[in-house]
Amino acid sequence: MRLANDRRLDALCGEYLLGTLRGPARRRFGRALREEPQVALRLRHWERMFSPRYSEMIGIQPSRSLWRRLVRELELSRYRPRWYRRLGFWRAWALAATAALVVGIAAELVLPALRTAELVEVARLESADKLEVLHAELSKDRRTLRLRTVRPVIAGPTQSYELWLLPAEGGAPVSLAVLGALDAHIALPAGLAERLRPGAKLAVSVEPAGGSPTGAPTGPVILVGEVTS
Amino acid sequence: MLANPEIKRLVVATALRGQGSAEAFEALYRMCAPFLLGIARRMVGRRELAEEIVHDSFVRIWQSAGSFDPTSVQPLAWMVTIVRNRAIDVLESHDVSRVDALDPDAPGDALDALFDWAPDPEQGLDVERRARLLRDCLATLQAAERQSLVLAYAHGMSHRDLATHLRKPLGTVKTWIRRGLVNLRDCVERCMEGAR
Repeated sequence: MRLANDRRLDALCGEYLLGTLRGPARRRFGRALREEPQVALRLRHWERMFSPRYSEMIGIQPSRSLWRRLVRELELSRYRPRWYRRLGFWRAWALAATAALVVGIAAELVLPALRTAELVEVARLESADKLEVLHAELSKDRRTLRLRTVRPVIAGPTQSYELWLLPAEGGAPVSLAVLGALDAHIALPAGLAERLRPGAKLAVSVEPAGGSPTGAPTGPVILVGEVTS
Repeated sequence: MLANPEIKRLVVATALRGQGSAEAFEALYRMCAPFLLGIARRMVGRRELAEEIVHDSFVRIWQSAGSFDPTSVQPLAWMVTIVRNRAIDVLESHDVSRVDALDPDAPGDALDALFDWAPDPEQGLDVERRARLLRDCLATLQAAERQSLVLAYAHGMSHRDLATHLRKPLGTVKTWIRRGLVNLRDCVERCMEGAR
């Protein structure tokens, strides 16, 4: 029998939340929670009613080995900045580079910075909390879209990022690219550059490795922004 | 002070799996692990088991940060739920003698020792009002009902633990819990209706 129709649903939600629902009954409820939206909805109602805030005074310091174990088991070093992105390296590098720069500046003064001038920002994508920003820039010939982040963002081994165009005229999102990292150059398919106009939006979702299996966004949208020009 | 906007930022940065993710995850751990360990310790009573629970919970947080939906639940509440569920699993699989491990400094009705009822400006009016409502409604319950609910929630006590601890028959304790929950729900729902 489906739990959603069970007249004991409220009692089960309450005892699940409280922790007195144990054993096979708890596992059955956990299954129903994943499979029956109505059960999840009812539990949400209970959570809203019964969610005492623990006092922060109860905190105690974990042993140091606990964090070390997490670092090892989750292979966290893979998600640290590479050596050449660390501050110390750049400080040393800056000293050495200053001399070279003096020479370089002369050349820069003579040669206009053509490369950057060829790109026009068309959208600025932001995370919901506005802390992550992705700049989308279109080349003058409207064939290449460049994505630029403030700091490198690389997809995990089981994920890809997918860039979507949400058309100004409405309708289904159009996939522009599947990305392993958010810094990228994308060759725009013919006809799509015209659809990058005010009213349209660009968005990035997290998808399984290789991109959305359905052709529509399936994972959470992490960045979104309006096309401005 | 555990601030939800900052925690949310760290969970999202963790989920990105970029080169800043380990750093964000570490900041999240440094900020929240002591609090979560405190909750787990209260629930299982033994420190080494509580550390296992926090370990397993942070593995889970790392793995499921990508599917965390900040629009439907506060990030701290999300982490507390992960810890509580893991603690209940552990309580079931280990034969933890709950009764002897109770904190001597938190006897009986531990409402104010364990929970924070003060208004939290960051939470918004709705959440604040609900917290006050819950506190008031808990106060209207019979003492035995209230005590059973708090012991079960905060100290991870099963029906059987409660029966032993309170020296009452299992059936009586089950009735207290059931009736306590129904009365609490009715009170909160009534007050919410009344406030509309």
